[in-house]
Amino acid sequence: MESILLRARGVPNSRDIETYLAAGGWEGFKKALTMPREAVIQEVIDSELRGRGGAGFPTGRKWSFVPKDHPGPKYLICNADESEPGTFKDRELLEYDPQMVLEGIAIASYAIGANTAYIYIRGEFFRWAKILEEAIAQAKAKGFLGKDILNSGYHLEVWVHRGAGAYICGEETALIESLEGKRGFPRLKPPFPAVVGVFGKPTVVNNVETLACLPHILTRGAKWFASIGRPKNTGPKLFCVSGHVNRPGVYELPLGVSFREIIFEHAGGIPQGRKLKAFFPGGSSAPVLTAQEVDVLADFDSCAAAGTMLGSGAVIVMDETVNMVEVARNLAHFYAHESCGQCTPCREGSDWCLDILNRLTRGLGHPSDPDQLLRICRYASQGMTICPLGDAFSLPIGSLVKKFRQEFEEAIAHAKPLPPKKLPVMPWSGKDVRFGGV
Amino acid sequence: MPKLTIDGREVEVPQGTNLIEAARLAGVEIPYFCYHPYLSVVGQCRICMVEIEGQPRLAIACATPASDGMVVKSATSQRVREAREAVMEFLLANHPLDCPVCDQAGECLLQDHAMSEQRGSFASGMLEQRRTFPGLERRLLGRHVIQNQNRCIHCSRCIRFTQEISETWALTYKSRGNSAYIDTFDGKPLEDPFSACVADVCPVGALTVREFRFRKRAWKLRSTPSVCPGCSIGCNVWIDHHERIVYRFTPRENPEINATWLCDYGRFLAEGLNQQDVTHPQRKTEDGWQQLTWDQALRALALDLKAARSLRVVASGNMSNEELFLARELFTRVFKGELVVPVYAGEPRKMKNARRQWLYSASALPNSEGAKRLGLSLVDEEGLARFLYGAADLTLVLDPQAHPFLASAEAVQLLKVGPAVVVARLATPLVEAASWVLPVASLASGEGTFTSSTGAVQRFAPAVAPAGQARPLWQILVLLARACGVAELGKGTPETLFGQLAAREAAFAGLRWEELAGASENSYRERHHVG
Repeated sequence: MESILLRARGVPNSRDIETYLAAGGWEGFKKALTMPREAVIQEVIDSELRGRGGAGFPTGRKWSFVPKDHPGPKYLICNADESEPGTFKDRELLEYDPQMVLEGIAIASYAIGANTAYIYIRGEFFRWAKILEEAIAQAKAKGFLGKDILNSGYHLEVWVHRGAGAYICGEETALIESLEGKRGFPRLKPPFPAVVGVFGKPTVVNNVETLACLPHILTRGAKWFASIGRPKNTGPKLFCVSGHVNRPGVYELPLGVSFREIIFEHAGGIPQGRKLKAFFPGGSSAPVLTAQEVDVLADFDSCAAAGTMLGSGAVIVMDETVNMVEVARNLAHFYAHESCGQCTPCREGSDWCLDILNRLTRGLGHPSDPDQLLRICRYASQGMTICPLGDAFSLPIGSLVKKFRQEFEEAIAHAKPLPPKKLPVMPWSGKDVRFGGV
Repeated sequence: MPKLTIDGREVEVPQGTNLIEAARLAGVEIPYFCYHPYLSVVGQCRICMVEIEGQPRLAIACATPASDGMVVKSATSQRVREAREAVMEFLLANHPLDCPVCDQAGECLLQDHAMSEQRGSFASGMLEQRRTFPGLERRLLGRHVIQNQNRCIHCSRCIRFTQEISETWALTYKSRGNSAYIDTFDGKPLEDPFSACVADVCPVGALTVREFRFRKRAWKLRSTPSVCPGCSIGCNVWIDHHERIVYRFTPRENPEINATWLCDYGRFLAEGLNQQDVTHPQRKTEDGWQQLTWDQALRALALDLKAARSLRVVASGNMSNEELFLARELFTRVFKGELVVPVYAGEPRKMKNARRQWLYSASALPNSEGAKRLGLSLVDEEGLARFLYGAADLTLVLDPQAHPFLASAEAVQLLKVGPAVVVARLATPLVEAASWVLPVASLASGEGTFTSSTGAVQRFAPAVAPAGQARPLWQILVLLARACGVAELGKGTPETLFGQLAAREAAFAGLRWEELAGASENSYRERHHVG
């Protein structure tokens, strides 16, 4: 398919606004300004664009939750806190085409009636924060941002806010808290940000890639956009393929291609003739799929039907040399470190998982461990936590235990015996019965 | 008014009530750790999970408002029980099993829940070492609060208290995830006029009050409803005592005045109540102090009173309404003496009520407002000095703590001039200067009502029997009236005296003694509710 979101990749000087204008940039926003707000929202609803950040919620519907009669101010936040392991698509967009993202921000802000937009960019992206600052300055100079844009009477200011490098701040309410200058703790929902968001005002939080789709929807129409991909799963999607593939990288493909096509055609298959063992279809927070499930289609609904999720579209590929216990330990390490510590199941569960898996990989497994892991994962997910981080660690770890239980059991079978749970007692004979000596 | 069903019980609750409170009204107890009725809802502990008919997932009761026709299942739902068991397993995974040496034991929400709902049959699949916080096991967080971070269940009540109630924003989380711990924001000692409240709101033994720590097991204590004598705001307290010793004040719920808070100053007045320096009625003679029985003392005093041509009495804002009333009737009406009540503002104190409004103290003593309403003449320091400079045959000081001036050398000199009776509990210079000393019991043995500066008339009950020969002041005054042959005052109790007060004084009209109680029998349940 043609390059839509990544059309600027490889174009010299692609970040410059002149290059962007030459490619027909900012036309979508110009068109949006001539339309009533409801019509813009309707256009996006018709395009069936779904949020690219991970949850896949329809973008137009998210916008329509913003109260119409609210006196304002309202806010738009562009979520550029790309921190899901294996995801690097937003960085690509910001690297090559920041103007496209800005135009998307402008369209979305106009649609919800926001006069201030924030780009919350992860702290490690200092280079891309700089790129964005430059892009904003250029767009302002051309009159696409600022006061009374193109004599339409619409004002928009865009600010770049750098996060401090916490995974949890990619969650929209934690992001809002962080933007307000507080500790990045997810909020209880309801109320949702569309009603009570940043500074207590209606706020829409959209992913970079979602926003980058908007200029194309406006210029080429909702029908065109909806014709890409499969019904209800429309549009181009950036897939970040990493791991054991010959050509890792970002691939722009329509939603609904199969993972087989992504891994074996576009990413060039597994290196050194080894076999595919498993892959995460949508970042490390998605339940793992095995090699047998490689024909699942890469779209939101098909992934859900296969018991996983498309998430951010980060395909992490693992070949047959990978030890799944080690994968689980690696994940647990990440999530235990990134759990915010607010609610009980996630705080205690993630660390407990890590402890168990650490022990397993040290060869000190216990036969009860797989079931204990599953129990932790069950009760740290499915609405037991405030935010989806509970699900984010328990779904993949739970799926690893379920689908590769044999490997866990092998690790346990080769285990050294655990130190006894009983407290050491005074030796009753001449024998030395020290702690751990049994 | 939404009507809903909780565990099969129908209940109608005010609009906006959350499910925990609605369940309380229905007589169903939903466990909680992070929820606090006077703090914001954060939904962190996840133990209050309930099943709501028609919703696929369990919901947290603290953040779910009751709505009409809701059908809620708490302990009757298998799913809820399993979820709560799992949450308990998570919480106990890293919670030390040190209840026997933990000072919170007996008033610990975690322990209560583990023992009641789970019946102590709890088992965990945990094989790991518990997480610990080396160096934070016995740390003095502030002057009054000791932290044991190992026991913390991360409910954030203490943090929210400093943010929302005391507004010092002193406490915060540091670090992240399972290694998050409570610390002061700037790492400096916790400086907060309400600092001990953070130990009150702590559902477990992570924060404990230094002054009370290891003094008494919580289940040994008996609680008596009382009113804080620290200032005129009149915060409601429980006097926690055991075997005639007062161990501490804990806040008693009163949404209008102190919600469920108590300032450090008021709270730590409690142990001072145990001090009783003057234990016998005494008379100064040529050979020094002579101990008397009450009978001898009162009879002799009655003679002196009758003989005195001019009498002056210093009453006090520490006296209850009934005592002030008695003093007024006896000394000014019967004996035609002069009576003054010294007042002074003292240190400014403040308190936040349930509507999050600050109340400020008008006076340093708890019942200055009552004295005002009884029409007694209030005097400041200058007025008091002038009053004492005047000549009189007999001077009565009913409370040496009525004004700081009474502790000064000047006051002592003035009192030495003529015969003076001092009703005292503590050994002050004034006691040395007196010719008569009568032992009076502390607030913990007194009974009566105080009128707070907000106008609330609040009753306090006797908690402990007085030490030695000391008597509560109302009793001394009644006995004195009897000894003087004043029949209508000679047989009163605080209850009947209050009846007279209500009948005769406009400021107390319509009030009834029984209705002023404001405390139920089961103080533990009541206190459990507010942590």
